[in-house]
Amino acid sequence: MRKRKLIDLARPSRQHWLGYILLAPAVILVAAIIAYPLLISIDISFQDVKLPRMGAARKPFTLENYQDLFSSPEFWHTCWVTLKLVVVVTTACLAVGLATALLVNNRFRGRRIARLAVALPWAVPEVIATVIFAWIFDSSFGLMGWLFIKLGLANQMVAWFSDTTAAFWVVATTMVWKGYPFVSIMCLAGLQSIPEDFYNAAKVDGASALQRLRWITIPSLMPVLGVTMVLVVLWVFRDFSIIKVLTDGGPLKATQTLSIMTYNEAFGFFKFGYASAVGVITLLLCVIASMAMLGRGSKAMY
Amino acid sequence: MKRITAQNIALYAGVIAVCAFLLFPIYWLFVTALATSAELTQLPPTFWPKDPQWETFAKVWAERPIPLWLLNSTLAAVGSVALSMFVSVLAGYSLSRFSVRGGHSLGLFILTAKMLPATLLVIPLFSIFRSVGLIGSLWSLVIAHSTLIIPFTTWMMKGYFDTIPRELEQAAMVDGCSPLSAMVRVILPIATPGLAATALYAFVLSWADYAYARTFLTNEQGSWTANLGITTMKGEYVTDWNEVAAAAVFIAVPILIIYLFLERYLVGGLTAGAEK
Repeated sequence: MRKRKLIDLARPSRQHWLGYILLAPAVILVAAIIAYPLLISIDISFQDVKLPRMGAARKPFTLENYQDLFSSPEFWHTCWVTLKLVVVVTTACLAVGLATALLVNNRFRGRRIARLAVALPWAVPEVIATVIFAWIFDSSFGLMGWLFIKLGLANQMVAWFSDTTAAFWVVATTMVWKGYPFVSIMCLAGLQSIPEDFYNAAKVDGASALQRLRWITIPSLMPVLGVTMVLVVLWVFRDFSIIKVLTDGGPLKATQTLSIMTYNEAFGFFKFGYASAVGVITLLLCVIASMAMLGRGSKAMY
Repeated sequence: MKRITAQNIALYAGVIAVCAFLLFPIYWLFVTALATSAELTQLPPTFWPKDPQWETFAKVWAERPIPLWLLNSTLAAVGSVALSMFVSVLAGYSLSRFSVRGGHSLGLFILTAKMLPATLLVIPLFSIFRSVGLIGSLWSLVIAHSTLIIPFTTWMMKGYFDTIPRELEQAAMVDGCSPLSAMVRVILPIATPGLAATALYAFVLSWADYAYARTFLTNEQGSWTANLGITTMKGEYVTDWNEVAAAAVFIAVPILIIYLFLERYLVGGLTAGAEK
């Protein structure tokens, strides 16, 4: 038999081997740093673990964490807060994002700059955005309190972060400001892919600007809007830094989402098993929600 | 050229008003950084600094370990971007060009990983890092940030490779290239804009992290990243808002610059998947 190279990747019958070799590093890394930790967290969610040690003896299997969770009013309250925040922030982000995108999609001089400006908050790190809003809503010398007095909405400075309703709206406002630019960016990309001919044809047929928006722009944007909505929902669902820095879930857990609850149960109260159970539920809800919203179109997420 | 019409003026007025309203918080950040301490503790607030305190920037830079924080953030970002890009370029190419058995399921798994809450993954990662002694080290962030980045970059790279015609490699192989060198010498150079866009986006993802830094880095100030450092300046009772704002400017500016000058690339990466 002739000697030949160990793996001759140029041979047509061997070419797909290269595919496996190229995929291998990703498979190994994803298995080690995502899949394996995920399995661990699912595993400890079924154990009575406080602060887990790797290599420690397994605790017996128990459903206690999930039982405690579903019978805890705090959990249901947290779900309700999360749902409220998701609905409010997603709706507002989509509205502001779409409106700004339509505005700067007009033809005018300097629209490149306007496009950059409209989506600028996207580039502000979440923690920085949070710090800015914490100062704007400062209870002693914050701008917003002063504005509320000026507008006659309040008699004195508002203690935004000690009132449950006010704190919720502060969190929502911050998230909308940080979240809408993403929608603008996506909508602008979507708007640019609508052929000019559609509009010209509609103009010839005598369609008004409003009719063109209703019957051409919005339907053409629907696929993009759908994907964008899912991504925004997932972001609000899982976001940590804005709420953690702004309110840490308070006051009275009025701004505590599932994500914050997971973190605080683990690193505030050192109940890792219980926290993992909350996290696993959050993940399940994320997967179910995005599948429900995208349906068969889930390929678009790629 | 277009004539100036009433409609045009209304459009300009609208655009300027909307931008001014939406960008006000960024303006407010700069105004606060330049304000005097007295201006920050009086109402009505000062909307235009009469006596801009540029020295606040110098003071914060000197008194707080901000250069170190920025360095730490950069190192964590460079490390995680390098690691993630290495595996996702190869994997993206493989997913784009070869019908590998199991490739589809890997793709789906990575897709699901996009939905993983960081607050769930941080729990097992903390246990693992604690047992191998990575707590407090930037390596913990390199690994943790890769879990955020890889799910995005793999699919972005696959998307870019999908736009490059297969005929290019086939031509290279007819000319005697091996499949591997066809990829390295022909496809990767063509994909450079895509690579740059993806890496930039990954950098921004890593730079924005707060959850992992907060959990894995210890109490030692010098090991903090920029985002973690600035949250500690926001005190429980008293906060020097001008100093916080000045520090925030230092931390926000790198990303703002990337965005302003390389927006085309960043946005290209962001929207690559959604337009199809």
